[in-house]
Amino acid sequence: MINFRQIFLTIACLVLVWVTPARAAPAAAASRAALLTSFCATDGDKAAALGQLVEVVVSPNAQDRAWAGRIVDAIRNGALVCGTGGHVTIQGSPALDAVSLQPSVAATADSPYVPSIVMMRKLAVASAEMDLFAPQQDTRSAAARQVDKFFALLDPAIVARAIKQERDPDTATVLTLALAKRGLNSNVQADRLAAIKAVAEVPSETARTALANFATQDSVRSDPVVLAAVHRAILRMDTWLSFGKVFSILFSGLSYAGVLLLTALGLSIVFGLMGVINLAHGEFIMIGAYSTYLVERLMQAHLPGLFDAYIFVAIPVAFVICAVCGMLLEFFVIRFLYRRPLETLLATWAISIALIKLIQVLFGSQNVEFITPGFLNGGMQVAPGFFVTFNRIFAIVLALLIFAATFALIRFTKLGLLMRATTQLRDTARCLGVPAERVDRIAFGLGAGLAGLAGVVLTQIASVNPSMGTGFVVDSFMVVVLGGAGSLAGTVVSSLALGEINQFIEPFYGAVAAKVVVLLMIVLIIQKRPQGLFALKTRV
Amino acid sequence: MNTFPDPRTSRRFTVSSSATRWLGQTVEIGMVPVLVLVALYLPFAYFVIPESNALHLSLFGINLIGQIMCFALLALALDLVWGYAGILSLGHGIFFGIGGYLMAIYLLNGAYAETHVLPDFLQYMGASDFPAAWKIFSRLDVTILLTMVVTTLVAGVFGFVTFRSRINGVYLSIITQALTYALMLLLFINDVGFGGNNGMTGFTSLAGYKLAGVTTQIGLAVCSCLLLVAAYVGARYLARSSFGRALIAVRDDEARMRFLGYRTHTLKLFAWCLSAVLAALAGMLYVPQVGIVNPTIVSPELSVEIAVWVAIGGRGTLIGAIVGAIVVNGLKFWLTAQLPAVWPFILAGVTLVIVVYFSNGVWGSFKAAGSESKGGRQ
Repeated sequence: MINFRQIFLTIACLVLVWVTPARAAPAAAASRAALLTSFCATDGDKAAALGQLVEVVVSPNAQDRAWAGRIVDAIRNGALVCGTGGHVTIQGSPALDAVSLQPSVAATADSPYVPSIVMMRKLAVASAEMDLFAPQQDTRSAAARQVDKFFALLDPAIVARAIKQERDPDTATVLTLALAKRGLNSNVQADRLAAIKAVAEVPSETARTALANFATQDSVRSDPVVLAAVHRAILRMDTWLSFGKVFSILFSGLSYAGVLLLTALGLSIVFGLMGVINLAHGEFIMIGAYSTYLVERLMQAHLPGLFDAYIFVAIPVAFVICAVCGMLLEFFVIRFLYRRPLETLLATWAISIALIKLIQVLFGSQNVEFITPGFLNGGMQVAPGFFVTFNRIFAIVLALLIFAATFALIRFTKLGLLMRATTQLRDTARCLGVPAERVDRIAFGLGAGLAGLAGVVLTQIASVNPSMGTGFVVDSFMVVVLGGAGSLAGTVVSSLALGEINQFIEPFYGAVAAKVVVLLMIVLIIQKRPQGLFALKTRV
Repeated sequence: MNTFPDPRTSRRFTVSSSATRWLGQTVEIGMVPVLVLVALYLPFAYFVIPESNALHLSLFGINLIGQIMCFALLALALDLVWGYAGILSLGHGIFFGIGGYLMAIYLLNGAYAETHVLPDFLQYMGASDFPAAWKIFSRLDVTILLTMVVTTLVAGVFGFVTFRSRINGVYLSIITQALTYALMLLLFINDVGFGGNNGMTGFTSLAGYKLAGVTTQIGLAVCSCLLLVAAYVGARYLARSSFGRALIAVRDDEARMRFLGYRTHTLKLFAWCLSAVLAALAGMLYVPQVGIVNPTIVSPELSVEIAVWVAIGGRGTLIGAIVGAIVVNGLKFWLTAQLPAVWPFILAGVTLVIVVYFSNGVWGSFKAAGSESKGGRQ
């Protein structure tokens, strides 16, 4: 998979490089010199000159930007020497002429300019403001936080321009807030009202705290107009934030439900078909995750150019590995235990502890680290307080696709037909010539493969270690019990329900309470519908 | 679906070839004097036999035997419901845990009365005094009685709810396993008040005897042996009574029993509660011998392992459960010290072989070999 964002960036940079020289010629050496002179003038307005320097940095000309950045750095490091006769140099070996940045003879008699504490702060803000226009997103967001810290010193025009250009919503929010804070601290009522309005536009927890703090100030409490505006803004923000919270929970529940669906699907098919519960099912998840790990390592070593695509390579690899393991398990163990489902529990439990131990011996028992593919990194803010991460979207989409494929397989293919026939009436199906044993084996492999795919998805949203399957598989059992064995619709509905309920209870009462509540709920539901919500009509 | 169709176990009372039958009977009855002898041997081996003699047992060894006896009792409890009623509980650790935790509360009571120092986890929770509800457990007899009542209530409610709605087979197994898992997670939380993942420890005395004392430890091990004997005798009597036969019938064909007019869920409920109480008693004896109780006692792994002991020994034979628990745990203690990395593979391998090829376990297969009839209802 090719990283689209990077391509876009590259193209954008190329276009910039081609276009800019034509649009703006480098500032003349004369204007550079004038800038420096005005900075160096003893009673000159150094702050104003600094502002002009920042202006230069923001200018579309790459050479000017580099120059001004260099100068501001030099000032901050105390290396700028305002020589007599207007000859400004930068200390160092060799000393540089400040206008041309060419090596020059330093006027050794002159001492460098040492910025005052106030000036230092202004310089910090200035260089942070420059960083706001850096191409790297990390630099920009760090700079935004820096600007926010010294919001009283920022240059509103520059920051407003930065906000306009900013592509990352978080950074833009931070900047908007910083600008608004500056407005809030102004003494003019109109400025304050405008700032409140601006903050209300970007609802977030930090913005809410900022406004709430603002409302407690004496100067605000004495001004009923501003106070009313603040309260309105907070109310508005609260509505947005609670919406965002609900949607975030729904969304993370959805991604959890997606993984649950993949796991439970295989379990449910096998249980419906053979009446067998596979306690080693969780270990197929684990094997799927470790296959992904191997694929990742191999691609990193041999195909670094296509590294981001490892997750897509891992999908078939994990499926095949797990399916083969599943069929082997069926062939060597399960088929001897068809009429004894309780003993299958024990046999598969034995397999599961052996597999966990084996992986522990091979890979160690600590978590293995994954490098997230670039295009799954980060996310986007859909609404205030509702941040959607790409890896969870990936999990949901993949789960849906795989479910659709499984559904099609069972509904529309001959194999699916045979599987359904065997599930409903095994003996009659055999009499009619259905090779039930082979159907069982393939179905078992399919179930194991699906669990492996769940493992691939889990590598992006959870930690991967040898015992990762054990906790997860209990939840999938519950999905099968609730949904009814062998029922695809039941599996979907109950994994959605369990995923969402889990995520809704968890933030308020903790993960354990969520588990306990879900369990009690299932026990109660089973009272009414012992075969699950969507029991298949089988005749035994 | 018939969940327990293996014909050989259900033909326990058919004619067997005389030699194996005689041997089987002898071992089954002989188990009682053997266990009593072990109980008598323990103090003798420590106090009388000199250390140079190979028959001498260290305190560690005696303690180990006591713990294994508790596990055997636990396995016996599970065999009662699995082997005779066909209910495979993967949650017997819950009852073991209830017994263990209530016993720990009693022991903490004693420790507090002596030292007047609150256990660490209570101090962290900000308690200034011993919890009032815990003071009920300040006497051993009351604690034993209350543990039995609590266990019966918990098992009774769960059993009533599940058996009445005819949840059985694999469904029941997974639900019990999920419950165990949930309880373990619950106990891991510090705020629940049972010591979190550190559990409870720092016990000093039991019914007036120093817990660290040699006599107390030997006494506990002897008690474990004797309780196992008593439970075995009682369970064997029950299994051979009309109740036991009705239970076997329920196991083999519950629907038919129901049509015949038996209240099958009441039968199962009784066996279930009895088994739970036995498991709780095992937990009560286990905790003072290991000196600590923590949430791993209700881990799903331990609960499945109990079923594995029973399966290896042979379910539905009582003696198989005891032998299985003793052999597997003895091997475990020995091998985890010698070859810690290999033990899980050995356990897995043995379990697989037994479950797949000797479905009646070691003892069950031995008895089946003596049974003349082959095949049967399938």
